[in-house]
Amino acid sequence: MTAPLVFDGIPLGQIRRSTLAGPPTGIDIATTLTLTVAARETVAVVGDEQSGVDLLGGLALGLETAPSGHVFTLGTEVAHLERRARLAFRRKLGYLPAGEGLMQNLTLRENIRLPLRFGSDFRPKEIEGRVDVILAQLRLSRVGDLRPAQATAEDRRRTALGRALAFDPELVILEDPFDGITERAAGELLEAARGGETAEGARRTVFLTGTDLPAVLRRRVDRQIRLARGQMETIR
Amino acid sequence: MIDFLAAIGRGTARWLARVGALARFGFEAFSSLPSLPGAGRRVAARVLLNQLRFTALEAVGLIVLLSTVLSYLTISSAIAQLDKVGASELIGQLMVVVIVRELGPLLTALAIVGRSGTAITAELATNTVLGEVRALEGMGIDPFHYLVLPRLFGCVVSVCTLMILFDVIAIGGGYLAAGVIGGMSGARYFSIVLAQLTTLDVVLTAIKGLIFGLVIGLIPSYEGLSVRRGPTEIPQAVIRGTVGSIAVIFVLAAIIVAVLRA
Repeated sequence: MTAPLVFDGIPLGQIRRSTLAGPPTGIDIATTLTLTVAARETVAVVGDEQSGVDLLGGLALGLETAPSGHVFTLGTEVAHLERRARLAFRRKLGYLPAGEGLMQNLTLRENIRLPLRFGSDFRPKEIEGRVDVILAQLRLSRVGDLRPAQATAEDRRRTALGRALAFDPELVILEDPFDGITERAAGELLEAARGGETAEGARRTVFLTGTDLPAVLRRRVDRQIRLARGQMETIR
Repeated sequence: MIDFLAAIGRGTARWLARVGALARFGFEAFSSLPSLPGAGRRVAARVLLNQLRFTALEAVGLIVLLSTVLSYLTISSAIAQLDKVGASELIGQLMVVVIVRELGPLLTALAIVGRSGTAITAELATNTVLGEVRALEGMGIDPFHYLVLPRLFGCVVSVCTLMILFDVIAIGGGYLAAGVIGGMSGARYFSIVLAQLTTLDVVLTAIKGLIFGLVIGLIPSYEGLSVRRGPTEIPQAVIRGTVGSIAVIFVLAAIIVAVLRA
């Protein structure tokens, strides 16, 4: 079985962040990353801002392109796909970006509904049903009609995760998912991202990045890797 | 001397790079249109309707005010002078050439840049800074589909519609001045003005609406999405978007006149 996520010889210091308009930007580090995330595994990569850890989610989604090496996501080099195919491919993945990236002019419910309305042929009734289930699972039913600015940080994070799980993806990529929320909420979010347990392990593969991992969660991830001073160190 | 020339060269190269990036942005926006998914069309249509409400509907009052005041001032000043030399018939030409053909489209475009161009840049820059644009791309939603195209088409439709409204109100406002100050009858005023109005003027208004609408949709969107560093860059982007749009609109207005004269 193909590993859902493979980073093969990625020179993090040579990556230039692309933008929709304007020139790209980069960081100055000398880490070359090689990492394989197996199916149903939960892997956390942590490191400070200068470690390049914040580039990994973008690389997995093809939002960033490495000048050399390969990134295989569900067996596909996303960055090498044509723009339209790249966008369509990303709908197979779940993505929670750093800072949530919720649309501020939409309610929490509308934020979860957006990818389903834009990227699926489901009927409006089916979409509403699915959104209701996600809101209930993430305990957001009572705050669904609030805008992100009116909601708590915890509810915003739950909404961003709900949006990432809207298509029930096989692989979930989470950037800084537990930053600024309680350990209890972080545990709930991790369990929701994993999608429950089966005989073979978690239902989904989870790849998460961040500056640190709450102590209570260190035992609940399968592997934790730290990027520091150009080195990769497996903590657990 | 060499330093001076080098500075000019660097400035020109920067300007050309910006024009090139803007052209590529416009090309990418239009080339993304065929790939807008069926389901996405309904969502984009709702964003477009919102844009039409903000850009066209909510600007009607401002356009009516500008148009009435401009035509009243122009015609009331002119008719007093033209009457002295027995050339009051020329107000038809004045109305059509100066207001309907030139100032109407220009003032409408400037009003929309001031109202909606600034709002588009600020909104898209905020979307970018808050990571919303990256999140959209990460979810497989093309920001061109969700953010840029509805604003672009909203601006084109709004500017065309408001230009026509400006011209209609201006002709009515001109009658107010010609009738009240000049004592001209309504029948005579409208026969003079409508005799000067040709199909070319209507076509030209539509073409200008299309071109200026594209400028107001594209430049502010480009500047808004080019923000990278943080919130402090938003006002700078708004200034670049507004000044750039105004400059391009004036240059294009001059080019259109030059082409027509030729």
